[in-house]
Amino acid sequence: MFSCEDHGRHHGALESQAFLVSGLATGIAPTRFALRASVGITADPPSLVWSEGARIFRRGHCNRPLTREVSMTTTDTAASDSGSTALEQAITTSDPLVLSRIWGFGGMTAVLVGAVASFLVGIERLDLASANIFSGADGLFQFWSAHRVAFVLLGALPALMALATTVVPRQCGGLLIFPRAAAMACWIWLIGAGMTVVGFLVDGGLGTPGGGGQRQATALTIMGILLVIGGLLLASVCVVTTIVSGRRAGMGLRDLPFTAWTVLVAATVWMGMLPVLAANTVLAYVDLRGRPALRFGAEDAIWEQVSWMFTHPAIYVLALPVLGIALDVVEATARVDQANRDVLLVATAAFGFLSFGAFAQTFFDTPGTPIAEEALSVVAAFAIVPVALAIVGGLADTLRRGAANLGSKPPAETVCALLAALLVLAGTAVGAIRVVAPLELLETSVTGAHFSLVLGASILGIGAGFYHWGEEMVGPKGRRPGLFLLGGLAVAGGTILAGVADLFSGLLDQSDFTGVDLSTAGNPGSGVDGLNVVSMLGSLVLLGGLALWMLVGSLHTAANQKGAT
Amino acid sequence: MATTIPAPPTRPRTLVVASAFGTGCVIMYFGCLFALYFSIRADAMAWGSQWYPEGAIQLVPGGMNMATMAMSAITIGWAVHAVLNDDRIHAILAMALTAVLGVAMINQTVFYFKDMGLPIDASEAATLLFTIVGSHMVMVAVGVLWLGLLLLRALGGQDTSRHRDLVSAAALYWYAAVAVYSVIWIGIYIAK
Repeated sequence: MFSCEDHGRHHGALESQAFLVSGLATGIAPTRFALRASVGITADPPSLVWSEGARIFRRGHCNRPLTREVSMTTTDTAASDSGSTALEQAITTSDPLVLSRIWGFGGMTAVLVGAVASFLVGIERLDLASANIFSGADGLFQFWSAHRVAFVLLGALPALMALATTVVPRQCGGLLIFPRAAAMACWIWLIGAGMTVVGFLVDGGLGTPGGGGQRQATALTIMGILLVIGGLLLASVCVVTTIVSGRRAGMGLRDLPFTAWTVLVAATVWMGMLPVLAANTVLAYVDLRGRPALRFGAEDAIWEQVSWMFTHPAIYVLALPVLGIALDVVEATARVDQANRDVLLVATAAFGFLSFGAFAQTFFDTPGTPIAEEALSVVAAFAIVPVALAIVGGLADTLRRGAANLGSKPPAETVCALLAALLVLAGTAVGAIRVVAPLELLETSVTGAHFSLVLGASILGIGAGFYHWGEEMVGPKGRRPGLFLLGGLAVAGGTILAGVADLFSGLLDQSDFTGVDLSTAGNPGSGVDGLNVVSMLGSLVLLGGLALWMLVGSLHTAANQKGAT
Repeated sequence: MATTIPAPPTRPRTLVVASAFGTGCVIMYFGCLFALYFSIRADAMAWGSQWYPEGAIQLVPGGMNMATMAMSAITIGWAVHAVLNDDRIHAILAMALTAVLGVAMINQTVFYFKDMGLPIDASEAATLLFTIVGSHMVMVAVGVLWLGLLLLRALGGQDTSRHRDLVSAAALYWYAAVAVYSVIWIGIYIAK
């Protein structure tokens, strides 16, 4: 006689045996997989080992009659009430799979919204001397800052959380710890994201250079961002606790698959940086409310206080889990063990360490010693390049050894994951160029190019992760969505076009925020006009790729849901 | 019919681990505020500017609050010890006393905010002071709510040595609140 939770553990043991059998049957000799399985640890790809019974259990629909009373634990997920509607179930559920869909669709929708804002800003930049589609510099600034906020806080981070709440617990051989807290985190984030978007749309945002925004709307945006941060932090605590303390017995940190390991490192860095961002926004909010702002809440000062989150080195922390996803995806699809595993674990940890960017707050620079030009910041920018190179080298080695298994048409997720890793490497290289003091690129559009490359890599890697583990997240096994590769190539192509064009525009002295007059744009050379057209086209291609992904993903999910019922 | 079940995995103190991570987040939040406070203060001092008006910050209210928090650190330790020893009466007493001390600290802070004659928009220093001390007040209020929950559990007989993690987690959070206040006391009330 055993409880529902025991039932799941029992299935976990069966999964391990099933994986061993499947590995032997396919002629693979996965030594590490076998070792892990012998201690009850499942490995990638989960689709090979996750039995339907286990899936049903993990989705919180275990209807097995219990023969003894079971107390609720930190890992229990509430079973759905058969009398409740679909909406009620969606709102009240603590099922990590449902939550991951909310994180995933919400995050990718925000990325799409950010891409639209980026495209509009790109159109405006076609004529640097005047305002064409926005009312003025303030309106342009709101969209320009909105696209960065949407990409990072409303898009990439939540989408990563979708993978972190489903894939990571599976990789740890356990269940998500504190599922109710994770549900609360998800809804807090969603409400905060809604408030943030509304704040931007009603002439608020994170301040404007001319002070023309609505103060109440700005306050609403800040409150929304605080809720977003709160939700992301709470979810991070749940995920990290799952990895640290909810791993299957006998599984050490060194046994973790790369996605779980990089999420552990990245979430630890998020828990270090997001509270700092919260402190910045609280300070701005306190100063903003009720009376003329003194300094922190001034309209033209708010963005600069929080801008450190959207640039070097903090931006790299979005790319870290993507490197883990790439390592896992390539290892699984090439069907060979990753060599030099410990070296890669250390390299990814170093990548995370170098991503900690809460110190780089330019708003509080002491006159004469800008933080971006100080040794710590410059060394971090250069040190992260060889670290990224080492990780990409590890990927290349696995590809070389597993080339025969990949065949002439490698899986779509492998292509996207590799492109993502290469974009991360390109992003770190641009980040290093950016801090070379004699070039004076810190305020130029090289910063935008850096952002585009790293964010593009992050989105591409997240897409690869969704595709690789998609059937575990959105529905039962079946036809995998077509056109994914086309969308991925569009995302990669758009990112490269926009990033490279902005890089060269920056070298021609174009400012990061161009405003609506030539002096704000930095009086760049005439060559930037053509580059801005290329950058705008890149944004358009990126937007098209994301739209294709969303369409295909939605149709696939709907089809799977229909099939499931 | 007997069913063989794999041995359950050992799950080390998830509540305490999660609480440690959450408390770490709070520490980072205050770390940022303190860094900004001391950095801006150092700049102002270097330029010879007045940070707080003369006599605006009194040592006594801050000192009383520090004493209150220090006492609460002892009582929360007492609560953990009592729970470990399944001493229900002492556990209830200790947690109630800690909560009362927390409420007293909040009361003293609110009284001092109204009494000190330094409006929040008087200067950057005042804005920072209200943000830091106000944030700490929220931290303590959360701790008091947490202790209230623990008290309810204790009254129901659930805070025992077998289920001590929630008390240990609350104690960890409370110690962090005391540590944060000690920095406020030294850095703001004493150093001014």
